[in-house]
Amino acid sequence: MQVFTSILVLVIMFLVFIITDVKAFRQRKVDNIKSIAQVIGTNSISAIQFQDEGAAMEMLDQLHNVSPEIIEATILNSKNEVFARYSPAGAPAVEVPSSMKDSSYLFKNNHLLVTYPIVASKEVIGKIFLVVELTELQQITYNKYRLAFLLLLVAVGFTFIVANFIQRYISKRLLLLVNTMKKVNKTGDYSTPLVDEGKDEIATLINVFNRLMAQIAENVKKKDEFIGIASHELKTPLTTVKGYIEMLKTMEDQPPKKQFVESAFKNVLKLEDLVKDLLDVSRIESGQLQLEMAKFDLSQLLDETVASAQMMSMNHTIVRKDEIREQIIYGDKKRIEQVLINLLSNAVKYSPGEQEVFVNMKKNEKEVTIQIRDFGIGIPVDEHPLIFDRFYRTKASSVHISGFGLGLYICRDIIERHRGKIWIESMTKGTVFNFSLLITNYAQQVDQ
Amino acid sequence: MNKILVVDDDIDILGLVEIMLNSNHYDVKAISRWQEIDTSMHNFKPDLVLLDVSLGGADGREICKSIKAAKETENLPVILFSANPEMGKYIEECSAQSFIPKPFEIQYLLTTIKHFLN
Repeated sequence: MQVFTSILVLVIMFLVFIITDVKAFRQRKVDNIKSIAQVIGTNSISAIQFQDEGAAMEMLDQLHNVSPEIIEATILNSKNEVFARYSPAGAPAVEVPSSMKDSSYLFKNNHLLVTYPIVASKEVIGKIFLVVELTELQQITYNKYRLAFLLLLVAVGFTFIVANFIQRYISKRLLLLVNTMKKVNKTGDYSTPLVDEGKDEIATLINVFNRLMAQIAENVKKKDEFIGIASHELKTPLTTVKGYIEMLKTMEDQPPKKQFVESAFKNVLKLEDLVKDLLDVSRIESGQLQLEMAKFDLSQLLDETVASAQMMSMNHTIVRKDEIREQIIYGDKKRIEQVLINLLSNAVKYSPGEQEVFVNMKKNEKEVTIQIRDFGIGIPVDEHPLIFDRFYRTKASSVHISGFGLGLYICRDIIERHRGKIWIESMTKGTVFNFSLLITNYAQQVDQ
Repeated sequence: MNKILVVDDDIDILGLVEIMLNSNHYDVKAISRWQEIDTSMHNFKPDLVLLDVSLGGADGREICKSIKAAKETENLPVILFSANPEMGKYIEECSAQSFIPKPFEIQYLLTTIKHFLN
């Protein structure tokens, strides 16, 4: 298409050039012949006045030397009768076309006809009529067209070679990209980036493609890791449940053993929690997690959750250090409870052995903050920015902590949906988790 | 009475396996901390070890290798178990006798143990 456009432009340009050139040539010719006619006219005044045909003929014969392209020259007198005629080729006489006025020119059948008046003492005493053969002009025009055509061929050839070269360079890289895409599509191997040293738009495209691949590879890796963790985490409680129920089955005629049933039940709850976390994450990711906002007393909710967290472990003592005793806030009570349970059970889980867990509630004029502090194994500072990420599980843990690594991710999402903040502080021993919620004027409630 | 050492960091599974093996007349020592394996091997002198692969900070496969590397325990049968079925691929690498994926059938576990004790 581009080659075609270039050719079209070139053709138009050449045509314009040739036409202007031919036109200029014709104009020059006309001026030239006119001046010859003028000279003949001036020199033939006396010949006409003295009716000397011989002198006139002699002068016209000189034309052969001056301008051989003039094939006919006629001197007419004032009555338009032929006074003298010169016709070296012996061609039949050409009549002056009736349409031609004095001092004008006409192009006719490759001939230029020129008339010029002979003036003496401001009186027209006759006129000159010249016929010029234009073979030279034809020759020149033909030569120009031929040259233009040759130049056009060269230009097209050159354009084609350059375009072909560029296209090949571009196509080669694009094809490589397409082939890599096909290969990746087939094999699912996202790990090898494409190498391209260009600096143009294709290089940008390849660069973006590489980044996309790296992103996908990272996600695939995370997904694989998650499947590994999920299968382990779900199968572990399932093993216990299945085992105890199988044992109960083998002793059908005896009364069920309380311990077996309790252990199975406890692990069913564990499974339920895991599945709930998965569902929450799926809701968060699909944007379907909705808050049910209402007024409630945060302090009372804290009492309830601390009591149930205390039930989880007899080895831990949860100590209240509250600075305030009552705080009405506006939020989703169930979701805030979920955050509290999560943080409290983390505090218990990550501080194995007999330990205390401190819970503190305080506020300033804008927000209320809850702090949950444990004295357990702690979290290395370099892991702090990561712990709220999806599927992140601390690498340094020497005790087995079950779960998907989704709890803190869900907590952060819930708190941020309340326009609150959640953060971690490191202590010499253990960890402090904080979250703060706005004490809103109920008129300007947090709109979800 | 054959002696079996069970190592699993999940207390519930540990309890289940202990009850199950006890009721099938085995002498069982169940531990949840891998750090106690060495002392248990020394004091309890098991006839078979049932070993979880992911032990919170330790890898059951490595522990199995070290058991097989020690002269006095090189012929001790070790059965690995894990919730990750992929781990079954590694039994030859760490010279374990068998691999049991979780969740397992009690009967299958008992049959496997019996097989390697004879």
